[in-house]
Amino acid sequence: MDLLPPELLARLEKMELISRKIFRGRMKGERRSRRKGQSVEFADFRSYVPGDDLRFIDWNTYARLDKLFLKMFFEEEDLHFYALLDGSLSMDYGDPTKFEYAKQLAAALGFVGLIRGDRVKIETLGQSHKAASPVFRGRHSMWRMIEHIDGFASGEPTTLAEGVKNFCLRNSGKGIVVVMSDLMDKAGFQPALRYLLAQEMDVYVIHILSAEEIDPDIKGDLRLVDCEDQDVAEITVSVPLLSRYQKTLAAFIETARDYCTRRGMVYLLAKNEVPVDELITGYLAKRGLVR
Amino acid sequence: MWPQWMNMLSWWQWAIMAAIPPAIIALYFLKLKRLPLEVPSTYLWQRSIEDLHVNSIWQRLRKSLLLFLQLLIILIAILALLRPGCRGNKLIGERFVFLIDNSASMRATDQDPNRLDEAKRRAVQMIDEMHSGDVGMVVSFADTARVEQMFTDNRRSLCRAVEAIKPSSRSTSLGEALKVASGLANPGRTSYEESDIQTAEALPATVYILSDGRFDDVSNFSWGNLTLIYLPIGQEEAANIAILAFSVRRHETRADKLQAFARIENFGTDDVSLSAVLRLDGEVIDAAKIDIGGGEVEGVTFDLGATDSGKLELSINSHDDLEIDDKAYAAINQPRKAHVLLVTPGNEPLELALATPLANELADIDIQSPDFLNNKQYQTTSQSGGYDLVIFDRCAPKEMPQANTYFIGAIPPGEAWKAAEKVDVPNIIDVDPAHPIMQWIVMDDVLLHEGRPLIPPAGATTLIDTHAGPMLVIAPREGFEDVVQGFMLIENAGEGDEAGIYARTNWPIRPSFPVFVFNLLDYLGGGQRATAAGGVQPGQAVVIDAPASAAKASGKKISVRTPSGKTISLKESRPGRFNFTDTDEQGIYEALYDGKSFLRFAVNLFDSTESHIVPRKAFEAGPTAVEGQSGWKESRKEFWRWLVLAGLVILLFEWYIYNRRVYL
Repeated sequence: MDLLPPELLARLEKMELISRKIFRGRMKGERRSRRKGQSVEFADFRSYVPGDDLRFIDWNTYARLDKLFLKMFFEEEDLHFYALLDGSLSMDYGDPTKFEYAKQLAAALGFVGLIRGDRVKIETLGQSHKAASPVFRGRHSMWRMIEHIDGFASGEPTTLAEGVKNFCLRNSGKGIVVVMSDLMDKAGFQPALRYLLAQEMDVYVIHILSAEEIDPDIKGDLRLVDCEDQDVAEITVSVPLLSRYQKTLAAFIETARDYCTRRGMVYLLAKNEVPVDELITGYLAKRGLVR
Repeated sequence: MWPQWMNMLSWWQWAIMAAIPPAIIALYFLKLKRLPLEVPSTYLWQRSIEDLHVNSIWQRLRKSLLLFLQLLIILIAILALLRPGCRGNKLIGERFVFLIDNSASMRATDQDPNRLDEAKRRAVQMIDEMHSGDVGMVVSFADTARVEQMFTDNRRSLCRAVEAIKPSSRSTSLGEALKVASGLANPGRTSYEESDIQTAEALPATVYILSDGRFDDVSNFSWGNLTLIYLPIGQEEAANIAILAFSVRRHETRADKLQAFARIENFGTDDVSLSAVLRLDGEVIDAAKIDIGGGEVEGVTFDLGATDSGKLELSINSHDDLEIDDKAYAAINQPRKAHVLLVTPGNEPLELALATPLANELADIDIQSPDFLNNKQYQTTSQSGGYDLVIFDRCAPKEMPQANTYFIGAIPPGEAWKAAEKVDVPNIIDVDPAHPIMQWIVMDDVLLHEGRPLIPPAGATTLIDTHAGPMLVIAPREGFEDVVQGFMLIENAGEGDEAGIYARTNWPIRPSFPVFVFNLLDYLGGGQRATAAGGVQPGQAVVIDAPASAAKASGKKISVRTPSGKTISLKESRPGRFNFTDTDEQGIYEALYDGKSFLRFAVNLFDSTESHIVPRKAFEAGPTAVEGQSGWKESRKEFWRWLVLAGLVILLFEWYIYNRRVYL
């Protein structure tokens, strides 16, 4: 699959990733940090205190007010952007599959990061805590990144919590992490997200659900087999069951949203039917991940 | 109206049918296969099911909806196979013939107001149910059939025709009515030299017979395109007591006295006690109390004394369902002597026998020689019915007279009668004692010298048979009867000295001979009619001979007064003979000549078939029996189509539910 079609690229070109937290990057990037410093973009004034860099004194103000003020600039810095894909078997459903969808989304967001000079790391849950994954930076890394994403295959046996834990072990730095998963873990998604909280990362949870999960189009007497653990649920499809399912699903989504919101994470429900560019330019922009 | 069921399947088919519901249930519970479906995660499903397990019974019931629907479909199929139906008013076919019985028995009042009205009501009901385009015909029938309305699709005129049917007092003959109906449904064929080609297209028709079934079976009838549907009218428990015979005879020993005999039959099952009242010219002259057991017959005798003439009426107070046979009539006529002509060259034994006092009471006898046959007076009198009986002894006329005849040793003119060569000493081997002429006649001691065996025309009855052939034969001829005797009583034979009168039989010296002559006068001379005319049945024709006093007059005016007082003029059918057919009414009719009554005759039902009013359940028409249908079996309303339709709807519903998950 072509992860980044040209028209999507054109739209992504103008975007940038935004972090709600101030992160110190190791290298200067094109990112405007909350930390004020040397940059071209004016941020504020403050009174001079001895020891300050004289280069930043606003002499014009001094001339008018006879007081020393220090001009403050936004410091531009690079950003750590992590995309964490759930590569479990359950993601391999839907059209496009949820995993494909997640890959595309990761590629798109990664690209936005690349063009703004951010450090982009794209990983899956199945990666072990020791395995290092490449870091992409700069527009020229786009093809490498896409190649890397293309190399992902679904069917990883890890649980959500395990995968997130490994991720946290691998990446101690702060930054933006976008978790793309269906959160369908019998053990619950909460432990996994708790790990991320501990990292003090700017966490975005993109809850990807396929159309079949949101509105199952099934009928008759069925024996539902869980693709991951072969768990079986025997059902006879009926209106009450379906409405019960809808309620359960709504409750599930609500729980996740509530959990995330309470803990300063951004939750976003993504249906695989909604095109990726629409999701990024629309929903994600609204939620403040991109601008 | 409860549904009536018809079994459509044999037992093994039912067995298969009965096995289906358990099979469905078994399949349902075995639940052979839940379709496996791999899903990303059963996480949400498990939680949904857990919630629903709480009300699992309802869930199970809900889940069983498809099962219920399947069972319902099978149930409906079974019901449909039972072909439920009810008395419907749907007529089968497009052409209908309504045969409505209006015979005497249809006057029975076991149905309110009577059977004929009930039949008419049902016919009108059926006509109302006809679809547009259907055509119907209305035929009423008793002893004859009458087309009241030809095939038409005009229901109003059909109803009018039905309403116009009047009750009659006649007997019933279905054959006539069926002939009319089949004449229209099975048109005749035209014969060509090589093949039969139908001239007209056969038109199938449904014949509805509205009758009580009191008629004789019709044997020589082919149904062809007809469908016969018999709708019996009347109640099974209808009871009737009828006078089946009523006649007046002279007293056996005292000839001047008259006796009336009646035969009364109880067609019901209960014993009845009733009184019979006899009236003469309206005055009660006698009464009798009669006890009749169920299904039994009783006879009653009334002594009338010396009664010359009058109208006798016998009535019983039976209060039964049929009134018409509770009255019987008999007419006593003024004794009228028969007018007998004996043409003989001389016959002493016969003349002696004719001269007995009893014979003289019966007849005036005119004896003439054979020359008289050429006389003009003979010719006019004989051709105008002036004689009741002409006896030709060893001679024959050129033309048969308009009278009964008795030929002795001669053959009537014409081709009808022939005789074989003379046979010597024919031995009498048989006589017919059933015939009135041969009553009380014993011929054991009679010897015949010679005779010519007779070859009679068709319809003749042999009265005396010999080893050589019939010697005394009676045959009808245009309303008269001819008795021909093949042997002579005496003969003028021999030549010369031997010439003389020779006896050719010893019969004249036997006691049976005068009895025979008396019987002959009584039977052929119209003596019976003279005392008390035996009646006819309603609808039958009566032959009235002009009175002797009118024989010579030209332009005879004979009329008949009916019991209700209507006078009908008659036209002469043959010289001296009048036919009267308007005998629908029961009672005593009077024949009038110049306004004076000269003959009375009675019209009585006297028909045990009609009087036996319990409706028949079935009758035979042609090769097949026609079952009476308690309802309109053939026109029942079937429900199976609706059931099948309902089954299909449920099937659709089930399919919809199965596919669209619209469970309860």
